[in-house]
Amino acid sequence: MTDKTNTPSGETTDFGFETVDKNQKESLVRGVFDSVASRYDLMNDLMSAGIHRLWKRFTIELSAVRPGQTVLDIAGGTGDLAAKFSRLVGDDGKVILADINDSMLKVGRDRLLDSGAVGNLHMVQCDAQMLPFPDASVDCITIAFGLRNVTDKDRALRSMERILKPGGRLLVLEFSKPTNPMLEKIYDTYSFRILPMMGQLIANDSESYRYLAESIRKHPDQDTLLDMMEDAGLVNCEYHNMTGGIVAVHRGIKA
Amino acid sequence: MSTQHDPAVITAVLMAAEGAINRALELDPASARDLAGLSGTVLAIECLAPALEIFAVVESEGRLYLASYCEQPCSVRVRGGLSDFLALTTADDPAVTLINSDLEIIGNSAPLVALQTLVTNMQPDWEAPLVEVLGDVAGHQLANLLKQIFRWGQSSSKSLRRQLSEFILEEGRLSPPAAELEHFYQEIDALVLKADRLESRLKRLAQRLDAQTT
Repeated sequence: MTDKTNTPSGETTDFGFETVDKNQKESLVRGVFDSVASRYDLMNDLMSAGIHRLWKRFTIELSAVRPGQTVLDIAGGTGDLAAKFSRLVGDDGKVILADINDSMLKVGRDRLLDSGAVGNLHMVQCDAQMLPFPDASVDCITIAFGLRNVTDKDRALRSMERILKPGGRLLVLEFSKPTNPMLEKIYDTYSFRILPMMGQLIANDSESYRYLAESIRKHPDQDTLLDMMEDAGLVNCEYHNMTGGIVAVHRGIKA
Repeated sequence: MSTQHDPAVITAVLMAAEGAINRALELDPASARDLAGLSGTVLAIECLAPALEIFAVVESEGRLYLASYCEQPCSVRVRGGLSDFLALTTADDPAVTLINSDLEIIGNSAPLVALQTLVTNMQPDWEAPLVEVLGDVAGHQLANLLKQIFRWGQSSSKSLRRQLSEFILEEGRLSPPAAELEHFYQEIDALVLKADRLESRLKRLAQRLDAQTT
């Protein structure tokens, strides 16, 4: 069997501001998240001053998940959203926490177990581009701060559309483009100067946090992502800017 | 597309309000139990100016969940301007204010009245968290002091409102008293009725004259 991570594909993609071979990105991203997994929650709270909880809460409201439904939380990391969904779907529902990175998944699993969120929760290590689920099997998919790390975003969106039930919804919560130029300047200074410094001080890893800032800048803006979702076959696509467009939540429905 | 208000800001305000309400409910188990009886109720509050919609969802554990977006069917929707909602929050008798104000109530008003009664009758045991932190003696003393300050604030506020009202209506004559206004409106109504009757009599006379001439 060929290890695809070591075999150059000839095609390139971005890894922060660097251009790398498509087959390399996965292992590079894995390296970043292996490095930050243990302190991911703490760093999220510090980096966003706790505002990430507000972004996630609004995303959950937009999901309109009901008891008995099946929810897939891709790139679910440390299980923030999965814990809330577990309560919403109840005993008759199912929540699948999926992440490509086993370090993040282990942290998420331990955290969910410690919080008592068990019974309707399942963990799957998988790639968002090739979701190992049957067609039309999921009511709602969320991917929070994960899409920008995926090598082929179009392929991942198509994969998500495939497994959604008709009428099911996809929610993409992701860093985006600030709508105010002044805010953008402040945000740039924060991301490229303060963020890596915080990463160095707290997680002893400035490079990983530099990548996080760079990957945000390389991620498609609000309207581009909206077009990508429509191209993947989703309908009634819309987005809501939050905190001046620093973050946006996109929603699309499976026709 | 972009929403008029930043959802993160609204969510922050709602989370703070929800935290305070649920903390108060924890300190008043009887009210929490009553609230649990209304489980599944969705109250929509729609402010027209500024345009804002919030939802209060009663959860089975006797807790309240406040949201800026909700797709669950609403049990009752209250619609109106910001001034109407502010008047409601500061009213001595919210039920009367609710009925007499310009607020529009759509749906089943029973859960709304039940919620309003619950809020009016809530008696959180504020002493409990103080005792937890400061101990029995100091916590009790501080709670008593805070209760006295609160009662003094309430009575002072009532007294100030009454005296201000008296000054505006009686001493300063800056605004006519309610009874005087009511009498004035009744006189206008009577005058309008008399004018209507006179108009119809004139019409009848004109019709009779027309009939005689032809």
